[in-house]
Amino acid sequence: MSTEKSRSGRFLLVGIPYAWMLVFFLVPFLIVAKISLSTSVMALPPYAPVVESLTDLWRKIGEFSFFNYLRLVQESIYVESYLSSLWIAFSSTVIMLFIAYPLAYGMARAPKAWRPTLLMLVILPFWTSFLIRVYAWIGILADEGLLNWLLVSLRVVDEPITFLATQRAVYIGIIYSYLPFMVLPLYSSLEKMDETLLEAAQDLGCTSFQAFWRVTFPLSIPGVIAGSFLVFIPAVGEFVIPDLLGGSDTVMIGKTLWEEFFNNRDWPAASAVAITLLLLLVVPIVIFQNAQAKAQEAGR
Amino acid sequence: MKKHLIASVFVSGVAMATGAAAQEKVVNVYNWSDYIDESILEDFTKETGIKVKYDVFDSNELLETKLLAGKTGYDVVVPSGNFLGRQIQTGVFTPLDKSKLPNLKYMWPVVTDILAKYDPGNKYSVNYMWGTTGIGYNVAKVKERIPDAPLDSWKLALDPEYVLKLKDCGVMMLDAPDEIVPAVMNYLGIDPDSKKPEDLKKAAEYFKKIRPAIRKFHSSEYINALANGDVCLVIGWSGDIKQAASRAEEKNKTVTDPKKKVEIGYIIPKEGAYMFFDNFVIPKDAKNVEEAYAFINYMMKPEVIAKASNYVKYPNGNLESQKYVDKAVLEDKSVYPSLETMKKLYVISPFDQKSQRVLTQVWRDMKRK
Amino acid sequence: MAKTLGPVRRKFSPWNDPTAKPLIEFRNVVKRFGDFTAVDDVSLGIYEREFFALLGPSGCGKTTLMRMLAGFEHPSEGEIRLAGASLAGKQPYERPVNMMFQSYALFPHMSVEKNIAFGLVMDKMPKGEIETRVQEMLKLVKLEKFAKRKPHQLSGGQRQRVALARSLAKRPKVLLLDEPLGALDKKLREETQFELMDLQQELGMTFLIVTHDQEEAMTVADRIAVMDHGKLIQVAGPSEIYEQPNSRYVADFIGDINIVEGRVTAIDGGLIRMEAAAPRVSIVMEDDAATSVGATAWMAVRPEKVRISHDAPIETGVNAVHGEVWDIGYIGDTSVYHVKLDDGGTFRAAVANVSRTVERPIGWDDRVWLTWSKTAGVVLTA
Ligand SMILES: Nc1ncnc2c1ncn2[C@@H]1O[C@H](COP(=O)(O)OP(=O)(O)O)[C@@H](O)[C@H]1O
Ligand SMILES: [Mg+2]
Repeated sequence: MSTEKSRSGRFLLVGIPYAWMLVFFLVPFLIVAKISLSTSVMALPPYAPVVESLTDLWRKIGEFSFFNYLRLVQESIYVESYLSSLWIAFSSTVIMLFIAYPLAYGMARAPKAWRPTLLMLVILPFWTSFLIRVYAWIGILADEGLLNWLLVSLRVVDEPITFLATQRAVYIGIIYSYLPFMVLPLYSSLEKMDETLLEAAQDLGCTSFQAFWRVTFPLSIPGVIAGSFLVFIPAVGEFVIPDLLGGSDTVMIGKTLWEEFFNNRDWPAASAVAITLLLLLVVPIVIFQNAQAKAQEAGR
Repeated sequence: MKKHLIASVFVSGVAMATGAAAQEKVVNVYNWSDYIDESILEDFTKETGIKVKYDVFDSNELLETKLLAGKTGYDVVVPSGNFLGRQIQTGVFTPLDKSKLPNLKYMWPVVTDILAKYDPGNKYSVNYMWGTTGIGYNVAKVKERIPDAPLDSWKLALDPEYVLKLKDCGVMMLDAPDEIVPAVMNYLGIDPDSKKPEDLKKAAEYFKKIRPAIRKFHSSEYINALANGDVCLVIGWSGDIKQAASRAEEKNKTVTDPKKKVEIGYIIPKEGAYMFFDNFVIPKDAKNVEEAYAFINYMMKPEVIAKASNYVKYPNGNLESQKYVDKAVLEDKSVYPSLETMKKLYVISPFDQKSQRVLTQVWRDMKRK
Repeated sequence: MAKTLGPVRRKFSPWNDPTAKPLIEFRNVVKRFGDFTAVDDVSLGIYEREFFALLGPSGCGKTTLMRMLAGFEHPSEGEIRLAGASLAGKQPYERPVNMMFQSYALFPHMSVEKNIAFGLVMDKMPKGEIETRVQEMLKLVKLEKFAKRKPHQLSGGQRQRVALARSLAKRPKVLLLDEPLGALDKKLREETQFELMDLQQELGMTFLIVTHDQEEAMTVADRIAVMDHGKLIQVAGPSEIYEQPNSRYVADFIGDINIVEGRVTAIDGGLIRMEAAAPRVSIVMEDDAATSVGATAWMAVRPEKVRISHDAPIETGVNAVHGEVWDIGYIGDTSVYHVKLDDGGTFRAAVANVSRTVERPIGWDDRVWLTWSKTAGVVLTA
């Protein structure tokens, strides 16, 4: 009797995360997927299912309604948006890596007593709304903004540099907003690293620099991978930053999706854009999870 | 009309104030931001005992998406003309029971007739405010750069010969394709209401010539930018530019250097301009329909709507109210244009799915450098 | 194997040769961490091919002393010299010294092979030679089959051997071993101790081992330095440390010992006479300890050098105490009798179990006499 009870208890415990995923991930995904296979109509809701039921699905499977997806390859704007989003996300990830690594390294090597404070400083920005922080950048990057004021008064430049509404501003915004997500996993992998490993390396003939490349860096790769994916994946779908800081020249898929949904009022097309984005990101996510699993297996 | 992200994020929830407070009468109103004298709402509650839950948006797209998703929880919403047109086709609104709106008799036929283009027979909507999309400019800065500026024509904003001279002092435009593209077509002598892809593309092609002059497309930032002297020319909404003008005047009082004083002018170009309407409608799934009628009827009281116009500096669609509108507002031709000017104003019919897609694409190209 | 080493070792004693120069020399080395002194004025010479042990309780500064030699810490005062040259300012990678870390510090992302080859790769040794050397090392530590494994796939003993192989691969002049066997079980530890000794002989290297285990130090080392609170207390060969401790601290730290405090009453011709109060006993020892009449001194005698008997000795007044057996520890090869003395305190005597039956075995609560000869113990002045 008690085993019966504990079994059902265990079932519940294991079941909850699955139920969560089902309700908050799979079901919405299926709804969006279904809309993406519909046609846009002037009605309420503004789409009409092409596939009505399961039997209908079998009947129509030959003529499956992929026209919303077809459009994604036919009209250049989508391919362009995807590529540009991937590129912006990729290059800002690389830049972030270069900024975050020394930061995380410095934090991990700082005296133990300082570390909580340093960690706090990294997390501090999260205490204000993301949106407000991006807005603050408008004030900083404006032609008459803080940054230009500083550059001009330090005589670095004579004329204010236009940051706002340029690709530069989008990069600044993305890098600023996501940097903590890069720093934290790097920090945690660097911090737990045994310092005697570095001594061992030096003992065996490495200079500090060589010890870094042969020991510290390889051991921090799980952190590098985790951080990179944590920033790359959301950056691809980023909408707020390009919308607020970017100009008309910045095409990103988030913005294209917004236009599809709000301007064109074409929910099926917007859904197809979203589903495609998701599928595009599944590949790196799977790579990421594999890497994580491997790291776990290595026990580090 | 206004597309601005901060509002679409902040104005998230809706007061779903139905059911729970059974006794208390409530009307849930969803209107444009900065678009009412709030004391009117208090007066309404005092007079009728109905509480107003007032929520704001600033993009038609946002409102439309909410409406199409259904169950907005609102009892009165205020879409603009061309959006209203296509929304009516989807059947999201309740046809009005005109017996419950006795104040309809005060409406201005000139306005209701034009509005009928979107809402045939005025079956669903009652006009709240209307206005024009024209040119706002910094008088001193424009005169300085273009002594013989054509201050009555789209040339100032759309002819590269003029507008490129204003590049250095800043040019902004609404981020509203359904208004800017027709304005360009109108200027080029094409029917502004044309939905033909080749016409839309012609506008885009022409636009390249003036694109270098434009600093930014945005539907609300220009008010401050104009008032502060950061930009010297905008294509924007009449009331907003009026607001910028009065903000500039306020500021001038504190400025001693005459060079730094900012004077803002507004032009309804002689070639004709876009006339927009923001209108009350009742969503089909509204819970407090009686209260919604009471609210709309109250807003049509001449004294009330006059008070609203005095505050927001937009003309309203209520003829009787003109007795109560401040002289300064009523006689300002850039707020209430002359009847002659009004004849030259045009409206735009709704974009259907296909033409909307072309419009979005054309607009995207136009905005790119 | 170890047995054959005995005679070789006995002959090896360069520290007694005034012309021999030590390979490693600590000269008045002090190391402070803040206002805490971890190593306190240590002067010490270690000779080539010597197996030297640093022994002391945890926290006494052994690791710190060793780390200064490896170059991870720098002396606050004094200097360290290697082969006649000062090591000051030399980076760890410039010192012909390798260290086997207490935690092994194996690189978790590298295979056993790669770990062992690490130092050789850093030295830019040709590929072929590296391979040969790695194979050689793997054979030496009997890990040929595990070359491709990662450290986390090995047992504790195997990891320890990888760490050893890695530190030996470069054939350093000096190998530093910081509690190398700490994590191993007793049997494996003993085996490894002998392996280490073999290795050291075979490779002709100088080993400096740190340990807190006195048996280990006694087993492996040519000489032992006993440390306490950063200071060297005694440096000597294992038997001397055991038989001739220079202080109660060393005597007590190494093995089991009975200590009696007393007052020196006479010193004549190599004999020291003492009177002790608790237990009340007169002591006569053959010892040349530097003490004077009237001074406090301590007599120390190992339990195995104390005779236990039911019968009173002939001369009961000297080097004899009596009491009651209250515990017997049977440790296989010996039995240790804990005796509660009539005059206060306890005393221990160890008897080898040489035959399976004893005529009149001593049992619990028996009244016994404990005696020792005047050469059985030492007189300590500190
Ligand atoms: N880097 C350091 N900072 C401060 N104190 C230290 C440091 N390293 C060692 N100590 C202290 O020095 C003393 C000796 O340490 P150690 O040499 O590791 O002892 P052990 O003999 O156990 O190897 C200990 O009390 C230790 O706390
Ligand atoms: Mg230690």
